[in-house]
Amino acid sequence: MFATPETGLIGLVLLFALLISGVPIGVSLGLVGTGGLIVALGFEPALIKAGVIVVETLTRYELGTLPLFMLMAHLFFSANASRDLFDAAAKLVGHRRGGLAYASIGGCAGFGAINGSSLATAATIGLVALPEMRQRGYSDALATGTVAAGGTLGQMLPPSGALIVYGIIAEQSVGKLFTATLIPGISQMLFYCLVVWLLVRWRPSIAPASERATWRERGQAMLRIADMLGLLCLVLGGIVLGWFSPSEASSIGTVGALAITAWRGRLTREVLFRAFSETLRTSGLIFLVIIGALVFSTFISVTGLTDAVGHWVTGLALGTIPTLIVVAGLLLLLGSVLDGLALMLLTTPILLPVVESVGMSPIWFGIFITRAMEIGFVHPPLGMNLYVIQGVAKDVSINRIFKGVMPFLASDLIHLLLLILFPAMALWLPGLFGQ
Amino acid sequence: MNVLARIMMWTGGTALITAAGLNLLSVIGRHTGLPLKGAIELVQVGVLVAGTLALVSATLARNHARVHLVLDRLKPGGAHLVERLSILLTMAFYAALLCGSAWLASDLWGSQEVSELLGVPWRWLRMFLNAGLVAVLVLLARQLVERKR
Repeated sequence: MFATPETGLIGLVLLFALLISGVPIGVSLGLVGTGGLIVALGFEPALIKAGVIVVETLTRYELGTLPLFMLMAHLFFSANASRDLFDAAAKLVGHRRGGLAYASIGGCAGFGAINGSSLATAATIGLVALPEMRQRGYSDALATGTVAAGGTLGQMLPPSGALIVYGIIAEQSVGKLFTATLIPGISQMLFYCLVVWLLVRWRPSIAPASERATWRERGQAMLRIADMLGLLCLVLGGIVLGWFSPSEASSIGTVGALAITAWRGRLTREVLFRAFSETLRTSGLIFLVIIGALVFSTFISVTGLTDAVGHWVTGLALGTIPTLIVVAGLLLLLGSVLDGLALMLLTTPILLPVVESVGMSPIWFGIFITRAMEIGFVHPPLGMNLYVIQGVAKDVSINRIFKGVMPFLASDLIHLLLLILFPAMALWLPGLFGQ
Repeated sequence: MNVLARIMMWTGGTALITAAGLNLLSVIGRHTGLPLKGAIELVQVGVLVAGTLALVSATLARNHARVHLVLDRLKPGGAHLVERLSILLTMAFYAALLCGSAWLASDLWGSQEVSELLGVPWRWLRMFLNAGLVAVLVLLARQLVERKR
């Protein structure tokens, strides 16, 4: 048959064309993968392989991690988590110049740690934080830019949906990925705070100081989120310290969220039904993408394209850092036309072996590609977070939102470069905890 | 939302909550010296049931992850054409998955394949998955016909 690198290359081009045409990502990946396997192996083995993949994927114990963390997020959403998280951060630092921008970043980090999605984080915190900031005289550009960029923390802090998907398709430990993303996620958050600090020092009028909350008010706000924070610390701490697996952690999180929602008197039949429906709809979408990606990745590996690209890159003898910079450039370029999930699934089968051939670990690459795809969420022409924020602040033009996000985008590029120069940012913690 | 869809959501959600509860009991059991035998196998059943129903729910809600770069810039006629083509391609992929999965199920039907610890009969779970894939195809066909009208 035609199991050659050229077949793989044709498959890649076809996939790119289907993705750009707007065919669903999972279907594009799966169709090209199945079609390619038929060309490479024949009709029967290709269909059997697709059948094996769908059964194996849907009976994977680790697959439960994704819908369970989503269910936890939906339950917390019903319990008013986004409002409480932002309120607590605003009460703590809101009186400072730029304080509400710091609070938005903190709120995004907190809510991101609950739901693991950039778009949902930007939309949810945006709904709460933007009216507050604009009412207190913050510039539109700073307010919208902060929340659009802050939203990207959703995928960089565990439990991140992107890292779970990467873990499944690249066959890497999700627990290790969650631990590895802690330092890059937290340092990204600190970078954003630094950007706000610099902007406010440069032009103090863009973020006026406001009234300081009393210690009593601060205490009350912190008490309101203590249960959620406690559960999150247990879930994430348990994974990092090896007390339980990510799948078990997602279960503990879900049962805990159910208990907290009930404790807050918000657990009704309707709330539970809405949480179930939303979880199933979103999971179904992602499961199809995972199944498609696994079929596609099998096709690519059968063609030998990954080995060919690996040999070619090794032959160039560019060295580790230049190779990684080229890979980053390619990801950012493709990120201009493909959205995050498509970018990750299209490039992982090809780029992972390349990155491994220059001595980098798959765990590092998971964090790196997630970081690169997050940048795509805030840079045009796609920049999904920018449009989400415009949906919340309809009277602010997209150009103004883009202007607001520019300083954060610059900090993102520096942060990505640091991740290349200092891989220990991602690899030190898993090593420390013996994962 | 019709009754069938509501039953599907409750069943999928209940499967997830049950899987979560079993996992929690398993963790508690492990740390207290009373391990829950076969918990992983039962969680796998929950994941398969929820996962299959999730695929059906996403199809029912026409929930798809896609790249919007070109799609958002098309005129209504073009967008409609792409949408119909997408449904056809989605049907083709699901049909391939169903063929492969049904092929496997029929090959393994006589082998009485069961899980290691609890003896969970995998052939019935494969049947459940295949039924889910058929449901997805029926929903897609209906969406295609609706759009043609």
